[in-house]
Amino acid sequence: MAVNKLEDLRERRATIISGGGEKRIAKQHASGKLTARERLDLLFDEGTFVELDAYVKHRCTNFGMEKVDAPAEGVVTGYGKVDGRIVYAYSQDFTVVGGSLGEMHAAKICKVMDNALKVGAPVVGLNDSGGARIQEAVDALSGYGKIFYKNTLASGVIPQITAIMGPCAGGAVYSPALTDFIFMVDQTSQMFITGPQVIKTVTGEEVTAEALGGAMTHNTVSGVAQFIANNDEACIAEIRRLLSFLPSNNMETAPVYGCDHDVNELAEALNDIMPDNANKPYDMFDIIKTIVDNGDYLEYQPYFAKNIITAFARIDGQTVGIIANQPKFLAGCLDVNASDKSARFIRTCDAFNIPLLNIIDVPGFLPGTQQEYGGIIRHGAKMLYAYSEATVPKVSLIVRKAYGGSYLAMCSKDLGADLVLAWPTAEIAVMGPQGAANIIFRTEIKEADDPKATRERVIKEYTDEFATPYKAAERGFVDDVIEPAATRPRLADAFDMLASKREVRPAKKHGNIPL
Amino acid sequence: MKKYNITVNGVSYEVEVEEIGGQAVSAPRAAAPAPAPKAAPAAAPKAAAPKAAPAPAAAPAGGESVSAPMPGTILDIKVAVGDSVNAGDVLIILEAMKMENEIMAPASGKVVSVNTTKGASVNSGDVLVVIG
Repeated sequence: MAVNKLEDLRERRATIISGGGEKRIAKQHASGKLTARERLDLLFDEGTFVELDAYVKHRCTNFGMEKVDAPAEGVVTGYGKVDGRIVYAYSQDFTVVGGSLGEMHAAKICKVMDNALKVGAPVVGLNDSGGARIQEAVDALSGYGKIFYKNTLASGVIPQITAIMGPCAGGAVYSPALTDFIFMVDQTSQMFITGPQVIKTVTGEEVTAEALGGAMTHNTVSGVAQFIANNDEACIAEIRRLLSFLPSNNMETAPVYGCDHDVNELAEALNDIMPDNANKPYDMFDIIKTIVDNGDYLEYQPYFAKNIITAFARIDGQTVGIIANQPKFLAGCLDVNASDKSARFIRTCDAFNIPLLNIIDVPGFLPGTQQEYGGIIRHGAKMLYAYSEATVPKVSLIVRKAYGGSYLAMCSKDLGADLVLAWPTAEIAVMGPQGAANIIFRTEIKEADDPKATRERVIKEYTDEFATPYKAAERGFVDDVIEPAATRPRLADAFDMLASKREVRPAKKHGNIPL
Repeated sequence: MKKYNITVNGVSYEVEVEEIGGQAVSAPRAAAPAPAPKAAPAAAPKAAAPKAAPAPAAAPAGGESVSAPMPGTILDIKVAVGDSVNAGDVLIILEAMKMENEIMAPASGKVVSVNTTKGASVNSGDVLVVIG
């Protein structure tokens, strides 16, 4: 080969790799952000990234765009390995035309998704874009539309992870919203449909971009994002960690890791963890940490609807999805946000063959006009639907309260739990002792000489008789009542036993989950 | 120019509010009478922007208010006005949903006011304590 052809290739490649040039890269760094290529280098195992479509160019000639050279079309795409497994990725380059999305930019992203679907590998999208490339008009719009469509087709087949690492406004927000997980970087990323200026013009409301759509807003208030990181490096490290809990696609199971934490370890501390008074809160994480391998878990939406915990963890090296009530927040009750959070998490786990562990200490659904007007009926129904629909192994562990409809909503036997274990402290009943006694013994209390003493007596009778796991165990709603200390060995055994579970459902186009 | 009568702690103040377009927020605040630090700042911008949605609970100026997360009964109040608290300290025990819920300080500071009493029934959103 002639030397000059090789040189030509190297020159072209060097130009593309330099992106928007030194000045813009320095500006990117000054704003606390890494470049598109630096991010990919962190995401993939060293030296495994293979770039595709580096030579793609836009074909826009409007408004002087024919003179604009956009290296790699403002988005670096390709594949590589994360912990030895193939992962596809695209990374928008803010230094090149502001990372704006045009026809060919979108085509590169679509190609990545098509390839990932074919080989059954996760897609990681690193977003940092000013939005649609206005000069490309409807071609840019069409680009977004095509990405949304492919996001939807890939949903439930391959894990799709999006990180917001810069601005993400207008239509651009919907591709991340259609994926399984959204990460946001604190202070440098924002997501909103309409920005602060438009809001001010239309409604007069003044709000900063950070308050409107910053990482903390979407992690605490809106629940749009599931994860938050302090900077780009931490964000990408968390993405790699999340991938370690997930299979590559819906036909595989999550990778199993060696476990140096003895599965037969008895945790005596669990025998004493429950407060004597059933109305005292405790931290559900103290239980979770004792049960899972090395006390290690990755929380999903840690700052949103804290009354329910959703987390990935491992038991005997195998990934499980944990859904647990948190008595420390809102008494661990179920409300609109907790229902939405857990239903989405349950369906994510079911789609990717991750067994479910439900740890139950739930007093009920939160009463009030706010909740009823907010549609707690249709939101709560999502939990029931998601649990009933899930065909992965489902193990429920009732540690304390399990009352009424909320007990069902946390995956009771009737919703298809394959194994229900209860601690002796469990109270499985149609409602709490106070409320039940007031109804059942209403006349007896009213006609008694000392109504107060009578009331206390019947409450105690009801508590001793019904606020236990044994009534439910008599009917087979609870498979076994276990010593808390033995929880980890029993759960490890349960998931091992259920590994080969197969459940056939009636054929249908798709169910109709209440949304 | 619009005139409003605003009553703060039983004292009535006559407030004039002028709408001067986009910059409305800071101007009316300056025009508000001085001895009404609590209500005036909240009331003035509201009058200037009649379209804005009503605030759920007018937070007293200069403090972070801690409100009830759900309806229930105040079982215990652990702090008094003037106490210094650290973020995470328990302020109030709210009995709700068969649970003695610990209501914790969201930030460190001094307790500016305690707006509830032992045994009181509260609704979600009611301000319980203000920390300044």
